[in-house]
Amino acid sequence: MQTLILPFLILFPMACGGIGYIIGNKKEEIRDYFLWIVTAMVLASTLLLRGEYKFLAEGFSALSISLQWGGLHSVLAVMTAFVWLVIMVVSKTYLKEHQNKNRYYFFIMMTLGAVMGVFLSADLYTTFLFFEIMSFTSYILIIHTNTKENFYAAYTYLAFAVIGGLVTLTGIFLLYDITGTLVFSELKEALVTLENKNMAYATGILILFGFAAKAGMFLVHTWLIEAYTQAPTTVTAILSCILSKTGIYGILILGGILFLHDETWGMTLVYFGIFTLLCGGILAIYSIDLKKILACSSMSQIGFILVGIGMQGVLGEHNVLAVEGSILHMVNHTIVKLILFLTAGILFLNTKSLNLNDIKGYGRGKPFLMSVFLMGALGVMGIPLWNGYISKTLIHESIVEKILLLEQAGKSTVEMQTIEYLFLIGGGFTVAYMTKIFVAVFVEKPKQKQYCKKYINGILKAVLGFCAILPSLFGIFPHLIQDNIAKLSRGFVYGQPSEHTIEYFSWINLKGAVISLAIGSIIYIVWIRMILMKKTKEGSVYIDKWPNQWNIQKQIYEPIVLQLLPFLGALTARVIGSVTEGFIVFCQITIFNNKTGKVIPKEDAYFSVYTQAGKRIFKDNLSKSLAFFGAGFAFAMLYILG
Amino acid sequence: MCVIGNKMLLFPVMFPIIAAMFFLFLKKEKQQRIYIFFSMILETISVIFLCMTDTEPLQFWQIDKNINIMFQIDGLSCFFAGLISVIWLLATVFSLEYMKHEENTKRFFFFFIMTLGVLIGLSFSGNFMTLYLFYEMMTLLTLPFVIHGGTTQAMQAGYKYLGYSIFGAGLSLAGFFFLSQYCQGTAFTAGGTLHMQSVTGKETLLLIVFLLMMIGFGCKAGMWPLHGWLATAHPVAPSPASAVLSGIITKCGVLAIIRVCYYLFGVEFVKGTWAQQMILCFCIFTIFMGSMLAYKEKLLKKRFAYSTISQVSYILFGLMLFSPISFCGALLQIVFHAVTKNILFFTAGAIIYKTGKEYVSQLKGIGKQMPVVMICFTIASLSLIGIPPTSGFVSKWFLAEGALSSEYEILGMAGVVILMISALLTAGYLLPIISDGFFTKKGEFVLKEKKEPCFLMTVPLCILSAVAVILGMFPNGLLSSITKISNTLFAFV
Repeated sequence: MQTLILPFLILFPMACGGIGYIIGNKKEEIRDYFLWIVTAMVLASTLLLRGEYKFLAEGFSALSISLQWGGLHSVLAVMTAFVWLVIMVVSKTYLKEHQNKNRYYFFIMMTLGAVMGVFLSADLYTTFLFFEIMSFTSYILIIHTNTKENFYAAYTYLAFAVIGGLVTLTGIFLLYDITGTLVFSELKEALVTLENKNMAYATGILILFGFAAKAGMFLVHTWLIEAYTQAPTTVTAILSCILSKTGIYGILILGGILFLHDETWGMTLVYFGIFTLLCGGILAIYSIDLKKILACSSMSQIGFILVGIGMQGVLGEHNVLAVEGSILHMVNHTIVKLILFLTAGILFLNTKSLNLNDIKGYGRGKPFLMSVFLMGALGVMGIPLWNGYISKTLIHESIVEKILLLEQAGKSTVEMQTIEYLFLIGGGFTVAYMTKIFVAVFVEKPKQKQYCKKYINGILKAVLGFCAILPSLFGIFPHLIQDNIAKLSRGFVYGQPSEHTIEYFSWINLKGAVISLAIGSIIYIVWIRMILMKKTKEGSVYIDKWPNQWNIQKQIYEPIVLQLLPFLGALTARVIGSVTEGFIVFCQITIFNNKTGKVIPKEDAYFSVYTQAGKRIFKDNLSKSLAFFGAGFAFAMLYILG
Repeated sequence: MCVIGNKMLLFPVMFPIIAAMFFLFLKKEKQQRIYIFFSMILETISVIFLCMTDTEPLQFWQIDKNINIMFQIDGLSCFFAGLISVIWLLATVFSLEYMKHEENTKRFFFFFIMTLGVLIGLSFSGNFMTLYLFYEMMTLLTLPFVIHGGTTQAMQAGYKYLGYSIFGAGLSLAGFFFLSQYCQGTAFTAGGTLHMQSVTGKETLLLIVFLLMMIGFGCKAGMWPLHGWLATAHPVAPSPASAVLSGIITKCGVLAIIRVCYYLFGVEFVKGTWAQQMILCFCIFTIFMGSMLAYKEKLLKKRFAYSTISQVSYILFGLMLFSPISFCGALLQIVFHAVTKNILFFTAGAIIYKTGKEYVSQLKGIGKQMPVVMICFTIASLSLIGIPPTSGFVSKWFLAEGALSSEYEILGMAGVVILMISALLTAGYLLPIISDGFFTKKGEFVLKEKKEPCFLMTVPLCILSAVAVILGMFPNGLLSSITKISNTLFAFV
């Protein structure tokens, strides 16, 4: 009976979304409160559910839906439900002036159900099923505001979702063909016996594509910046906090289950992660739009998680640091990004702009806003005593551990050391761009003096205040909270418990954070303040040096996918398709040539579409003769029978 | 003239033909509509009743030992007859409303009713002679749908349709003349009727015959190289007629192909030969070509017609792999494609009926005008692309698994890749319609009034959409009946 709670967690929000839609047609206020209660109930049930459960619905879509509770599944489910509750509560304020709110609420609930499905899934088909549903429902959330840029962003998102989904599906076909199973617990051993590893890697990369696109990995990140910037703030928060994690969940399945302890796979992922975190960091530094910076920051943090997942494979059996680091960074990133995007939302609500030059100094004299933002910023920067520090340190330590292992084995450590430095520089980027936002919004003087008005309401204050406690709570008591989360969830990717507890605040572990901080302050002072800012009469101004000419989507993807490939494809298709008609035309010219004086029936002229305009050819008696044919057949039949 | 067997089998075949005759005497419009509706209901019930009961085959008109008319009901007949009659009923309901804005409705319904009888006859047919007879009748009786408009364009499309179909059927008949010399009998028997001793040494000849027959019947199914008529003929017909032309009539070509491959030649003979590979290549060409041209097409109904070319070749691809899994996939695809393509043509019809818009570019904001219709359209599109949990995914799953596990590594892999490219193109030509229909930029579209059509149009649409989703989620009932068919066919391999 208790296993039924798993499909309940998926279907209940979806069904209530439908009910909410009906209520919303009558009374908007009631719908809002109704959906608050619904999400609160979902959160409560995820929190109260203990133990391990499995749910299996055989024969669904000729495969089976299989759900699981416990370990990582429950951690992610709780996280999702919490974020959703916060988003539902703040949506009321944030979307006050938006239209189509009913549609928004319906699809946000659908998305909640689908996300739950992804996180609870225990086989790859279930993951894929809900992943696809989630892609489509979230598309409708992104396209919420009907501006031109928003449409472009949403279309890009949809294109990546559809292409990614189909490529992943191809991979799943192949995987099922190779292994004959999609259940996680059986996939672990499935590829071990395989001789042709290349086939397995090809399959893995195909499956990776769709998940990586959702997470925002380097090369398939291009949709992310536009979509995050253009979507309503609440939706951006969901995208960054939860939907990107569904992609990570898929990558965890690949890296932690399918290619368990596989060094080649791990190393590839580490490189992609490094590129992602550096690319995201640099873009964030160049950006002067608050939401864009946070979007790029999301990409950068996903890079950190990817490095962690990659290190799981590189380290092999003793990968507990990497396992815990990557999983904890998922949770930590969710918490801090929720805070940061909600703060950005408040700024946008009041100033109607997100350009750093416009909102400069808005936060001065607003201690509550400042402290909330600071909590999130310090969390994501990886400052000791805040949550991001713990997970970043764990991932960093896993790289250090690999270096030590290589040294012991007497192998070259150059590659790993480069990775370590790049990782720390990536951390430095984070420090730099978060400082940039903080200084711009809360320290610098505004252009014109602003009259003070009430910028935040009570509910929002309570919610934000609560969220803001979490980063430091998680950071100050790592053994109490983070270690337990890690212990709970590491079984998903077969992480073995470590022999000794980690002293997070010992000098050796603090070193990484200190280096990152130092790099970050240098980058901020030299790069941002000196190169990316300009002194004018009204004070310093942030210059928009966003590298438009380096847009790989507009320069490479769009021309190829929208012009070159369709052109080539259509050319091929038309050539193939007109073979027969070409032959007919050829026959008409050579055999049925009127000029040769041969007698041909008039009707033959119409055997192909090539028009001979201006003739009246409708013959009433054709259909009549067909009617008589039918009648004759019926009578003949009766006669024979009689 | 002796008639052997259960005469009840003649009822669903003859009833629509006779009913159509009497239909001509009805004058009042209301009478006509009630008459059409109830005769279709009666027909559907009788077909379903016959499929449920075990009946012995019916034979009459014995001209020669091998030439006679024979009806029999096996699993495949039930499958096709059930599908055809249910979809036809819904199409009839839809056309009751749609045909209000067309002329010559009496002629249209006359042929519409009559065709159903012929199709049932086709699916009940127990030997090649019967199959061929009804196949040609089907071509002739569906011609009036194509030329219904009476315009020059329609007439030319009609001639093209006629020309291609007769040529294709003739090709198959010619093939059969050769084939019949090596057969034990012309009745369809699972596993093939080839006389193995007389075949030895003549394999190449018979494979060429096989190829010819496939191309001939493939014409109706829109397979390359005889696909040219489909995209011309389907769009000019009135929408309910194009729906059944795309959804049902093309499947009759598939039925003929199944009968020839699996019941005359037999899996054993064809499997692993060059002829099979060649047809597989043809199918791959067709899948790609159809989707690509649909992606480039601007006229809504023509886009769907191209899509039909591609989707029906999925079926043929699955059939030609000759493996139980892909056979299941193909038969599922028959059902799902019939359902989804009917939804799509119905929505196109509803849009034309209510707004008169025919081009894709005109459809901005259509989702706000006709929400129910466009939601059905969305479901059908997702199903056609193959997004789970809609039905298209299930058939695609089986087709892809069948292709990957087949003995042809390269062809199988190419098939899967083409399936995916085609799915992508399907998304490319359907999703923009939906997003333009529902989401409009500021100032681009102002909703003046809702144009939702009446229940006669929306009810068939909703039923089919529900079927598209429910069958996708719970395909097991359907799957078990298909497995029964495939078990009889593959028992000999």
